[in-house]
Amino acid sequence: MPYSTSETVDAVVIGTGAGGAPLLARLAAAGLKVVALEAGKHWNPATDFATDEKAQEKLFWTDERLSAGADPIPFGSNNSGIGVGGSTLHYTAYTPRAQPDDLRIRTDFGVGEDWPIPFDQIEPYYDEVEQFLGVSGPSPYPWGPNRKGRYALGPLPINGAGQLMQRGCEQLGIKTSPAANAALSADYYQQGVGHRKACTNRGFCQAGCSTGAKASMDVTYIPLALHHGAEIRPESFVTQLITDESGKIREVVYMRNGQEERQRCRFVFLCAGTVETARLLLMNNLANSSGQVGRNVMAHTALQIWGEFDEDIRPYKGIPGALISEDTHRPARANFAGGYLLQSIGVMPVTYLSQMARARGLWGQDLKRAALAYNHVAGINILGDCLPDAGNYLELADEKDSRQMPKPRVYFSNGENEKRMTAHADKIMRDIWSAAGAKNVWAFPRNAHIIGTCRMGKNADTAVVNADGQSFDIPNLYISDNSTFPSALSVNPALTIMALALRTADRFLEQRK
Amino acid sequence: MPEQYPNGTVRALLPTDQVTEATRKALTERLEKAPPKPVFFSETEFDLLKAICSRLIPQDDNQPPIDIAGGIDERLAQNKSDGWRYDTMPADGEAYKIGLAGVDETASLLFESPFQSLSEEQQDKVLQQIQQGDAPGETWKKLPANRFFEELLAEATTNYYSHPLAQEAIGYVGMADVPGWQRIGLNQLEDREPRVVKSVE
Repeated sequence: MPYSTSETVDAVVIGTGAGGAPLLARLAAAGLKVVALEAGKHWNPATDFATDEKAQEKLFWTDERLSAGADPIPFGSNNSGIGVGGSTLHYTAYTPRAQPDDLRIRTDFGVGEDWPIPFDQIEPYYDEVEQFLGVSGPSPYPWGPNRKGRYALGPLPINGAGQLMQRGCEQLGIKTSPAANAALSADYYQQGVGHRKACTNRGFCQAGCSTGAKASMDVTYIPLALHHGAEIRPESFVTQLITDESGKIREVVYMRNGQEERQRCRFVFLCAGTVETARLLLMNNLANSSGQVGRNVMAHTALQIWGEFDEDIRPYKGIPGALISEDTHRPARANFAGGYLLQSIGVMPVTYLSQMARARGLWGQDLKRAALAYNHVAGINILGDCLPDAGNYLELADEKDSRQMPKPRVYFSNGENEKRMTAHADKIMRDIWSAAGAKNVWAFPRNAHIIGTCRMGKNADTAVVNADGQSFDIPNLYISDNSTFPSALSVNPALTIMALALRTADRFLEQRK
Repeated sequence: MPEQYPNGTVRALLPTDQVTEATRKALTERLEKAPPKPVFFSETEFDLLKAICSRLIPQDDNQPPIDIAGGIDERLAQNKSDGWRYDTMPADGEAYKIGLAGVDETASLLFESPFQSLSEEQQDKVLQQIQQGDAPGETWKKLPANRFFEELLAEATTNYYSHPLAQEAIGYVGMADVPGWQRIGLNQLEDREPRVVKSVE
């Protein structure tokens, strides 16, 4: 039942990832006429996804971005996704909740920004999303406030990397737990979605799940949205938002099959992710009376420590992030604000070896020797908060891409706080690996998950959207993705993006009553 | 703990029902692909690129060698990106062309001969200096030598280890995942996962 471009639909949702898909389903369930525009294809994972990293590069957003600053952010495989489902097509499905104090870093430390939403307004949405996706995790969960209920399913099995991290942490007195992952530890049924089979431990989450066990949006909220009558229009790349004399957006312009098309609408929900959301607004010179669009770029501290072990690990097996510790959420006697989590990591071979070549600079026989140890490697990763900084921002470059649109240039440099946190984590992770028996330990410095650029806040002078995700400048424009996060949080963002998406949809629907 | 894995493991698994059709297609095409002629690079540039790649990833063990440079040429000919580049670098294709000329320039300044006429030891010396960002040459005033090297090495590594034969050599059979993996803990192997044949020291 596709809507026609000549009719005025209630809402156009731009992007079908963690920010767009849940909201799309919610609006459709409320009876609204909604159309989602997605730049990429609508894949059939069972037949289209190969267990091959190179073949799966098709899931990465590879329109070129320019990475500037002292710590240039790698995009492509490490960041945005393309296709119905967005970056959830290649996320690791690691779904820890933010803790209440993540939302008040300014109150607690005098730096960064507080969220304009109290934790108790996000918590019910965490409950809902976890149940709907079928998140597998431990109950009770060892950190943060007591939960009202249990995770939908028990935790997934622990792979070699997880066992080693458990072993090392035990000796150091660091508490660990099986992590919460949005992949099914048992078969699962949801109304409006149908049956999904349990995870087979393929370990390929970051290059696409071919079985539907991982809760990417294309096998969860997208089917639900379709069930409720939403239309998904794939391979539709949005270029313009057209406003009328009142300043409201009336039409969304996009390219499809090489042709320009237009969709008239009453509301627009921009869910294209931190980079593309900001780029589209800057190109159209919209919603930026605050001057904040593109500012406040943040990227999680995400140092990895790798080691080789005598044991056979075969790091391609099992959910990659099997184990977690949040003992470092607010470390005692720390010389930095905020904190981080610790995560065991398995890894696919090409990802591991190419990042090792980059970081260690190994080549020749040294590279081949190190590669032979692949079956014996395991990693630990942190995921930590990042403070906004005036020097970290996105701008439009003069250089144009193949669509003749300006490429985004993203400046990022770790500040003193990120450097101190990373040094703290470097020591702890090396201690854990040493206790677990690692040899040839090496560090892969990195930042992950680009966040910010359209900050939410209480004040139209310093924020782009309000706490409901509504633009201060354009009343019929909402933003729902990681661009609105006022602070980076000390956890992976996907679960919080989905929770906020449902909250934004509900607030929007309440206002229209 | 350097080890050696048996030959033929991935090739034996590919035709079986332990591999999905999509996976089999992707890997078989790569396995059977004939070494391509350059489209983006000139023949001269392409020969130089191949010579550099064979120092970055020596292939005494593979006859014929796994194609690395052809994948780079193909990507650049299609104007494809991996999604980002260092802002200090020119566009990928330009960076490669400038960088290749720079390798020969450094080789001539250090050893008075183009790169391909040098001994392996001399070639490695040239590449080391480029990697460390202290190679002589006008080229490196306009192109950051260390970044050029890093990008080239990362792409060469990606192309090489995406090949089924390189994956066989490191004992990787993750593509045979239709039955799933039940034995995922430490020292737990499924029958189809190769055991080390011997340690090489």
